Amino acid sequence: MQETILAVEHLTVYRETYSAVQDVSFSLESGTDTSIVGPNGGGKTTLVQAILGILPRHSGTISILGQPLSPKGYLPPRLRQQIAYLPQNFLVDRRIPLTVEELVGLGWDGLGLQLPWANRRKRAHAVRDALTRVDAFHLRHQLIGGLSGGETKRMLLAYCLVYPRRLLILDEAPAGLDIRAESEFYALLYQLKQEQGWTILQISHDLDMVRQHCDRVLCLNHTLRCQGTPEVALSSASLSALYGTEFVRYKHSHQPQ
Amino acid sequence: MTMIIPSDLTHFIDLFRLPFMQRALLGGILTGIMGGILGSFNILRQLSFFSDALGHSALLGISLGYLLGLDPSFVLLPFVVLLALLVSFLLERTHLWTDALLNIISSSAMAIAIITLSFVGQYKGELNNLLFGDILAIQTLDLVFSFALLTVSLLYIGLTLRTQMLLTVDESLAIARGVPVTTHHRIFIVLLSLVVGLSIKGIGVLLVSAFVVIPACAAQQLSRTFTHYVLLSIALGVLSAVGGMVLSAWFNLPSGPSIVATQLVIFVTAMVFARFHLRSRAD
Repeated sequence: MQETILAVEHLTVYRETYSAVQDVSFSLESGTDTSIVGPNGGGKTTLVQAILGILPRHSGTISILGQPLSPKGYLPPRLRQQIAYLPQNFLVDRRIPLTVEELVGLGWDGLGLQLPWANRRKRAHAVRDALTRVDAFHLRHQLIGGLSGGETKRMLLAYCLVYPRRLLILDEAPAGLDIRAESEFYALLYQLKQEQGWTILQISHDLDMVRQHCDRVLCLNHTLRCQGTPEVALSSASLSALYGTEFVRYKHSHQPQ
Repeated sequence: MTMIIPSDLTHFIDLFRLPFMQRALLGGILTGIMGGILGSFNILRQLSFFSDALGHSALLGISLGYLLGLDPSFVLLPFVVLLALLVSFLLERTHLWTDALLNIISSSAMAIAIITLSFVGQYKGELNNLLFGDILAIQTLDLVFSFALLTVSLLYIGLTLRTQMLLTVDESLAIARGVPVTTHHRIFIVLLSLVVGLSIKGIGVLLVSAFVVIPACAAQQLSRTFTHYVLLSIALGVLSAVGGMVLSAWFNLPSGPSIVATQLVIFVTAMVFARFHLRSRAD
């Protein structure tokens, strides 16, 4: 039987005066890849932020790696370290004098009280290994502000990879990448998922990617409108119910001559 | 203006044998270190105008001290801490633009302070010292406070350096890792306000924020890693304090403005050097 990594029960989250997420329940099993799809303003980012404890919840329960998340968002540090989150727009201030190596190292660190030079060798080894595996070792001394979009995403994957994680939460992770860089990002992500056994929860608008890679889809428009395999959840009927009756999906089949 | 000519070096060295000059120099060095360490995070978190507004508003704390017949130094520190927490709270809870809210607070506080000082008869005599500081008036007790605050700041930033770095890069990454962001934010604001409050005596309300802005900005121009940036910011804070004091003694100039002018020279030099260095690397 697969281990439950994340369990959400009857979750309701308010944004100012309205309920952005209403009575949502689902669970993620170990090693699965689940995508949240739905219209803009439908509560996808709110749901993810509540799971991470960034936003307070109004009601319901969240349990991560078997441990309930407290109403104030507390989870023991050893469990926190097993979760990695990549925000929607990692728009770092380009003027921050921080190297790729330093940022990836922050993914390895436990964030309690410690001397700045604690575990220096172990940390350096883990950083070097993570950067090598995402083919970004040559970028280690570069300032993060000088990276291209694709390089930034690889650096963030190294940030996730530098410490053994169980759960990856991605909020439109490839946003801002061109088609080629996006495709490279997903290829790398799924290669690493295979190697690391990550469980992934991601927000995506790319339904083709979801069809291709995800095991399960959660259709969210404030409430869960449907959930299931991509074949079921992304059927024309489900998508029309989720995005509105005007929703039509066109398939392009450009066959090479 | 009395100018000491270079040949009068002995007299110049003798000046630094005087206890008040030694206290001033030590005070400048301690402020330089504190300004450098907190300033390096201050500018990256875009709190420069916050520290400036805090410095200006501190005049109200001093004037309240005069009004209540208390030593202004003892009123000043709790006042700036409470004010900083209040401003921080207002910034979180109101929908106003940060710079607009800070402008409202600092200009109103200064206006009320000047009116209060005019009532208590301190307006003409001491306003100049309050505005521009008098580093030569630093007492041993001020140094004790500064040293204690420096120790706390070094311990706090040193032991949470990696957390501070993550918080500075992206708050949401830090929250997702379980960092108590609000607690860290409040501790930092309290330390920053104490540094501003303690430095006012020497530098004055108008110039005090320079200590937590200019050396860090100069260091940012020259740094290629975060660790070097923080260390360089501290070093430039100390260098500007010592350089400013030497200039002040040599040319008999007001000490606070001399230190800030030195910081400006360091900043411009760093900017020119970084530009030239980057261009030559690009070529």
